[in-house]
Amino acid sequence: MKEGETTPKAILDLDRMVHEPARLAILTVLASAEEVAFLFLQRVTGLSKGNLSSHTQKLEAVGYLATLKAFQRRIPVTSFRITEDGRAALRLYHQQLRALLPKEGTP
Amino acid sequence: MTTPDLDVLGALTRDYAAFQSRKSGLATALGGLMAILLALAALSPDLMGARVTGRLLVEYLVWMPFLWLALKWGVGRVLYRGLGPVKPSPDAAYERRRWFWIQGLALFLLAFLLAGLYAFASGLMQVNPSRAALCPPPLWMLLMPFLYLLPAPWVLRGIEEARAYVVLVGQCMLWLVPFFLLSFWPPRSASLPADWGRFGDLSGIGMVGLILLILVWGALAMIRGWREHHQYLAILRALPRES
Repeated sequence: MKEGETTPKAILDLDRMVHEPARLAILTVLASAEEVAFLFLQRVTGLSKGNLSSHTQKLEAVGYLATLKAFQRRIPVTSFRITEDGRAALRLYHQQLRALLPKEGTP
Repeated sequence: MTTPDLDVLGALTRDYAAFQSRKSGLATALGGLMAILLALAALSPDLMGARVTGRLLVEYLVWMPFLWLALKWGVGRVLYRGLGPVKPSPDAAYERRRWFWIQGLALFLLAFLLAGLYAFASGLMQVNPSRAALCPPPLWMLLMPFLYLLPAPWVLRGIEEARAYVVLVGQCMLWLVPFFLLSFWPPRSASLPADWGRFGDLSGIGMVGLILLILVWGALAMIRGWREHHQYLAILRALPRES
């Protein structure tokens, strides 16, 4: 899609997996670090445990993030890492959104 | 969720990840305080000859960098456990600067080790038995540079803490100098004048300058560490509450 092109199709083309606010926040956080622990992700996004689990499962199902499970001093720690597909989807979403938004100064 | 919100989320994550990888803050401040205390201790005229339970005080003090590493680990575990591990994205420029300090430390230790070995090889110890008796150079101290260097790549994650460690190690190595070199110096009755002449003046001025530098650096490290600790607390406060 070219920049500035605003059509209903362009809006409908937005990746809904990324467009949902909670998932957009999750992907933004994951894109800012290499690996993020569940607890931090929960606090920084302000989501409940159940909500976060549900969204991360959806993102993992489409291959946008990978779940990593490990033990730290015998305590299980769940972390997430954004995949290349996830990074590309987030980048594309930003580009699409920028193209859809009106230019500065236009009503 | 607006764009600024997303920017804030990204910035919070980056800041938290950077801090989590280092877990310094108060440890850096502590390093500055220890450097100041060591420098002030060095000003004491009796330090080199002082003995504690039969051993020279300096022999204990040269382990201070390891005490700092242990304290840093403890501070990280108790104060900076936070909200779980967050690995920062690789930052090539920062890594280069970190390795610059570690390599600088390695070069300094290597130079010192060579000087120590040279002193041993020169056999000056036999020339000056009285000084050698005052400050016997234990052979294990030759291994100290390696011991100081060994944990550096793994333990030193931040620039500030790398500086703190380098200054602490540097001070201890300067204390080891008498063990390696000055204790082997020819006795006063030999070629050197009693007051060490111009060499003594220059080295004295150099040492005073170095101590002043360490005092200033220590004070700055304390301020920086304290500030970093508060930045970490601010990050935690900025995180939203669970909905």
